[in-house]
Amino acid sequence: MTLQQQIRANRFRTILVLAAFALLIASIAGAVYALYGVGIGAFVLGIGAVYGVYAYFASGRMVARLTGARPVTREEWPEVYHLIDTVSIAAGMEAAPPLYVVDDPAPNAFAAGRTPATSYVVVTNGLLGEMSKRELEGVLAHEVSHIRNRDVRLMTLAAVLVGVVALISDLLARMLYFGGSGGRRKGGGNSGWIFLVLAIVTIILAPLAAVMIQMALSRRREYLADASAAEITNDPEGLALALRRLELDDREIKHVTQATAHLYIETPLRNATGPAKFVAGLFNTHPPLAARIGVLEEAGGFRLPDSLPEAGDEETRTA
Amino acid sequence: MTVVYVLIAIVVVLLILVGVLYNRMVRLRNEADTGWANIDVQLKRRNDLIPNIVEAVKGYAAHERGTFEAVTQARAAVAGAQGPAAAGEADNLLTAALGKLFAVAEAYPDLKASENFLQLQHELSATEDKIAAARRYYNATVLRFNNAIQTFPAVLLAGVFGFAKREFFAAEAADRELPEVSFQS
Repeated sequence: MTLQQQIRANRFRTILVLAAFALLIASIAGAVYALYGVGIGAFVLGIGAVYGVYAYFASGRMVARLTGARPVTREEWPEVYHLIDTVSIAAGMEAAPPLYVVDDPAPNAFAAGRTPATSYVVVTNGLLGEMSKRELEGVLAHEVSHIRNRDVRLMTLAAVLVGVVALISDLLARMLYFGGSGGRRKGGGNSGWIFLVLAIVTIILAPLAAVMIQMALSRRREYLADASAAEITNDPEGLALALRRLELDDREIKHVTQATAHLYIETPLRNATGPAKFVAGLFNTHPPLAARIGVLEEAGGFRLPDSLPEAGDEETRTA
Repeated sequence: MTVVYVLIAIVVVLLILVGVLYNRMVRLRNEADTGWANIDVQLKRRNDLIPNIVEAVKGYAAHERGTFEAVTQARAAVAGAQGPAAAGEADNLLTAALGKLFAVAEAYPDLKASENFLQLQHELSATEDKIAAARRYYNATVLRFNNAIQTFPAVLLAGVFGFAKREFFAAEAADRELPEVSFQS
């Protein structure tokens, strides 16, 4: 798949995600209409439409807020900015995206934004502490590739829209639980029927959310971003080392929800247990790191050692 | 009558094919142009830095005239080079001349400790990283463009529309190979 094909595929998927969201809002409005009449139904439809349009244009800022990322200036991080400058030039970007930081000791990174010009790259404090310059360059190249391949608009939009789907789903489940009261107000006769409508909508919601995420996250895009990054830095081994370091690190980033998990370079929901683990499996958005490292090893004709040298010890690994 | 329709259909299909191929070549040529412009920006930035560096070293080692001249000449050669291949070679010479200049600077501890010199040295190495990055992008776009105009069926049209093979920005042999990474899962 070429870059152009990937960009086209992403545009198509963006439309699908928006359509799925519109369908969802319409069905909820329909259910509300059946329950409470045409006035409130139209109101819900209006709210949904306004939120959809707002989410489309403000998704970048919303994701920053959801993940607790704050912008970093060039003065604060001159070296990291230098790395992302060179990576962006090698990727043929018009300008380097600004850097954001999430204060978290777990190493991870992602990119978000609606257009290449408004996109940004987020790294955690932990990533900077863990990675050598070469590895960090690989990670930044991976994120810049997501921006260049136009993956970020789709991923960002999915995060924002899926977030609200989860919210509505939760709300409906509550309404269902306390189902009786809503029906009685309108008259006892048709409360069973209303109950059914609500149940159906709720049943539709969860899979729809899953489908939206899956569309946003074919696992192939992670392989493609890895391949692009290797081409950009001309150093597949650097990225492979970075991925191995992520694999060996078992800390996980806090403040991750189902809606934002797919953004990160490494899945942040690895350590989930119980029902959370089951859900994480459903939403399995990342290919295993070992498989991604394997592809890079094959491409670069090298093999990583099982253990890694200490971060910052440049001498031992740049050979 | 049907023969006419079939002929019209064939002509339309051919025209569409020509249009698609032409647009693709134009897009790839524009990418290569952008890539070259990026290199040019960084080369100019470095050429702007060099006189300052030479002046800084001169302040401590005025008698190393040969080294300064070599750098100045190499700098002029890069600025005056015609085409990417020539610019690439001039660039390699300039890198070598700068290497000698910094080797000279090594012998002067006061110079090495000077705030101004350190700053210039830092900026130069940052700019050189960017030249290397711009070179990687440019050479990748040239490779794509050349492949596109030399393969069938575009090769039949490339000459007609005046698409000519582009030069690489000279690089070390190892640097020219791009890693082939498959992402088919």
